[in-house]
Amino acid sequence: MGKVIVVTSGKGGVGKTTSTANLGTALALIGKTVVVIDADVGLRNLDVVMGLENRIVYTSMDVIDNRCELTRALVKDRRVEGLTLLAASQKNNKDDIQPEQMKAICEELRSNNDFVLVDSPAGIESGFRNAAAGADEALVVTTPDVSAIRDADRITGLLQHEGVEPINLVLNRLSPEMVRKGNMVSKDDVVALLNLNLIGVVPEDRGVISSTNRGIPLVHDNSSQAAQAYMRIAKRLTGQRIPIPEIREKGFFSNILEWFSGNR
Amino acid sequence: MNILKIFGRKPKSSNIAQQRLKLVITQDRVDIGNRDIKQMHRELAEVLARYFNFTISAAQMSLRQEGNSYVLIADFPYDNAR
Ligand SMILES: Nc1ncnc2c1ncn2[C@@H]1O[C@H](COP(=O)(O)OP(=O)(O)O)[C@@H](O)[C@H]1O
Ligand SMILES: [Mg+2]
Repeated sequence: MGKVIVVTSGKGGVGKTTSTANLGTALALIGKTVVVIDADVGLRNLDVVMGLENRIVYTSMDVIDNRCELTRALVKDRRVEGLTLLAASQKNNKDDIQPEQMKAICEELRSNNDFVLVDSPAGIESGFRNAAAGADEALVVTTPDVSAIRDADRITGLLQHEGVEPINLVLNRLSPEMVRKGNMVSKDDVVALLNLNLIGVVPEDRGVISSTNRGIPLVHDNSSQAAQAYMRIAKRLTGQRIPIPEIREKGFFSNILEWFSGNR
Repeated sequence: MNILKIFGRKPKSSNIAQQRLKLVITQDRVDIGNRDIKQMHRELAEVLARYFNFTISAAQMSLRQEGNSYVLIADFPYDNAR
């Protein structure tokens, strides 16, 4: 029996979809079978971030309306063994799906996969409720800014109320330079405020944008700190105990190296 | 030019963010807003004023997190002078 993990945040634009795509890929790269589900009905994006947009035929709506079997609706990622995507319908809206229907899909998928990752939409309404309905565990994603942290706390309260356990925190877009200068709350501040178990810190990295441009999740190339951070989170999700290293500030030299490797 | 601007240190914005977050998160968790706290403050002041003298303007009330619990701290300084 696999685990169902909802990736959520409350606030939009903090990196839920980026995290789902990279963690799904990372888990598959270390040999797990994974389904990533886009639960952002009407505003789907996980397909483009993963570069699978041209191969989608069916969506979770087709499965719910019995137009297609669940296994046929899954799109295989050909770059890595064991990774599939269940896309969301663009033509429907969030109220067209009921929590029990999402739960049934998650239950079926967990029976023959190690991990089911559900990419939640922003907000605390029906879209979030559907995404969380079938989840045992949650990854709460936040950035180090005031509004994202506040919303993360709010969503944590709702998840606890639903009995989702454990709830782990992913801190995304941390800039060690800004923390050093006192212009960004630190990792320790965020953990103290939210009182959650921190499962990983992903640095601010321009590579995220170029990898999204290409539709190739960052973790396919393990050279950046952000990719390595996602790989470590994936390993922690499988139960490995790996300490969370401090993020290094990029020096002059690594910027030059990056420039030469075209990793921009 | 203000000499304090040259020598005085501006508080780091990260510290301000942390303080502000502490307050809003606490209020969100307890599900009580600033307006409710102000109202409660007014009502308490009314009751207290029947029993002793204090300077209303100096009175303060705030919600704080201490460990895993929340404390409502009311500070009504007793005014002897009146
Ligand atoms: N670690 C990061 N460094 C730089 N940009 C990032 C990072 N994480 C996310 N982004 C960017 O932030 C934006 C929002 O990310 P996304 O994953 O779509 O958020 P959400 O799904 O929470 O709305 C995207 O443009 C993405 O490329
Ligand atoms: Mg998204």
